[in-house]
Amino acid sequence: MEFFTKFPVMERTALMELKKGIDLSFRLFSRKYGDAIENFFDPLLFFLVKLEKLLLATPWPIIILVIGILAWFGSRSWKLVVGSAIAFILIGYFGMWNDCMATVAIISVCTTVCIAVGIPIGIIMSKSNRAEKTILPILDMMQTIPSFVYLVPILMLLGIGKVPGLIAVCIYALPPVIRLTNLGIREVDKEALEASEAFGATPFQKLRSVQIPLSLPTIFAGVNQTIMMALAMVVIASMIGVKGLGVPILRAISNQYLALGLMNGLAIVALAIIFDRITQEYGRRIQKHRGQKK
Amino acid sequence: MNIKKIILSALLILGIGSFSGIANAACGNVVIASQNWASAELMAEVDKVILEKGYGCEVELIPGATMPTFASMDEKGAPDMNPEQWANAVYTPLIKAVEEKRLVIANKAPITGLGEGWWLTPSAIKKHPELKGMTAMEILKHPEWFPDKEDPSKGAFIGCPAGWGCQLANANLFRAFEMEKKGWVLIDPGSAAGLDGTISKAAESGKPWFGYYWNPTSIVGKYDLQAVPWGIDFAGRDNWDNCITKAEQDCADPKPTAWTKSEVNTIITSKFAKQGGKDIVKYIGKRTYPGNVMNGMLVWMADNQAGGPDAAIEFLSKHEGVWTKWVSSSVAKKVKAGL
Repeated sequence: MEFFTKFPVMERTALMELKKGIDLSFRLFSRKYGDAIENFFDPLLFFLVKLEKLLLATPWPIIILVIGILAWFGSRSWKLVVGSAIAFILIGYFGMWNDCMATVAIISVCTTVCIAVGIPIGIIMSKSNRAEKTILPILDMMQTIPSFVYLVPILMLLGIGKVPGLIAVCIYALPPVIRLTNLGIREVDKEALEASEAFGATPFQKLRSVQIPLSLPTIFAGVNQTIMMALAMVVIASMIGVKGLGVPILRAISNQYLALGLMNGLAIVALAIIFDRITQEYGRRIQKHRGQKK
Repeated sequence: MNIKKIILSALLILGIGSFSGIANAACGNVVIASQNWASAELMAEVDKVILEKGYGCEVELIPGATMPTFASMDEKGAPDMNPEQWANAVYTPLIKAVEEKRLVIANKAPITGLGEGWWLTPSAIKKHPELKGMTAMEILKHPEWFPDKEDPSKGAFIGCPAGWGCQLANANLFRAFEMEKKGWVLIDPGSAAGLDGTISKAAESGKPWFGYYWNPTSIVGKYDLQAVPWGIDFAGRDNWDNCITKAEQDCADPKPTAWTKSEVNTIITSKFAKQGGKDIVKYIGKRTYPGNVMNGMLVWMADNQAGGPDAAIEFLSKHEGVWTKWVSSSVAKKVKAGL
């Protein structure tokens, strides 16, 4: 009877040994390859540091101007341009400018890395069913595993700072762009493909001139989601020493500073809304353009 | 006659049994804060076992941290007990709460030989042997020995994670010692895991590390961190309480000072002091962990990745000599039987 009421648990010491063994082997791994992996990411760190310094050194009116121009090119909507400018002015006025720039820096680099890594993976997945079957569960895992779990090995391997923070953010933010690239390419009209084949297009030509252009709106939705998820990870990244809007939020949580937490939280929301609207409008515009062509 | 005796004694036993049941019920429900670091977790779990098995309380552990737990106990009277309250972070409000009889300091020093301060890894001393015996004031002249990863021209001083009481103190000392001018940056490791990660990473890869830590901890035991003497006197309570521990905007002119002497208390709410009764308050008052035992337990926890509950069992079974002195022999027997 006891067998049914009490779950047959692995023996306590054996379980402990197992845990210890996993830890020890990872520690040996990080002792052996930690430096090499760190050096591998050095260019990325260099880029991140430079970008943050650039953003901080640039006079604020120029930054707001640049954001306004970006908003205009993305959306062609005056409302959005004025809205983004006001949001940034408010963020600066409430003393969050430096943190905000640090966050913008890491989010931009993170999005770039995710696009550079994610789109090729998405293309591979769309080309091969076997690749799709292997990669999908990995994506599921990346999206659902609690971030604190992978913070530990990242910490052991790379310590604290911008690069480990970036990796933690990317693990969470990468899946949407892969998923939607895959989906977009798979959903491209069969007839359009047949037509291109009839003209004797090579697989690469097919990909470059038919599949990717036709799936751009979907891919863009993926990029948009990636940016949103990266912003959502800002606070977690701050737990391993990434500067930005997440740091004051952590401070606010531990000390019950309601106003501080609220202000920085709203600043992240403002960034998210600006990025979201700009990329969404841009995505809609490519779609509209396609609709007209049809 | 015999039967009567048997019945009588049976009644007596039942009576005692039910009496002790009533006594246990009097302890009632107790909520203990299990703060998010190892020694606090261990103490909370040990208290849970002893109060449950020994005194018949119904103990619930809830997660906590220095500032939120104190605020909640002070404002709401819950949780009932915080086994390891670092008093410096809440010095003024704690005195006030005790005066106004909301909280009781049940144990003034639940762990011996503890302290906060600035520490070096042995790898730092190995790389720069001059560091041996140097005071903090002398080390501050050499930021070039601790290059920051993100800006190697600066020296990295690892401070406290955002939101910890010590974060404010370190930030204000950073200003008081004019460390920015001397070529240092104050690194915020973001979380406890981040802070420990910097130390273990430095120790494993042989890089120098200079920053804030505290004892008793497994990290100090495991990596043999070396406490740095200050080389400067404590500049008085007024400077510490009204400036160094305050947010930057409330501390315009921090004076250079050594770290205040650390004080850890076990605090309980006055409600629990009444409800729990004399015996429990007496137990809490006697419950003092010797520093070396605590450090040993912390290293054991880290090596075995044991959480609080496992560690409590390990402690209660390995260190009987320590904890049986805290309680009466009958309680000790009950706890032992319950393990």
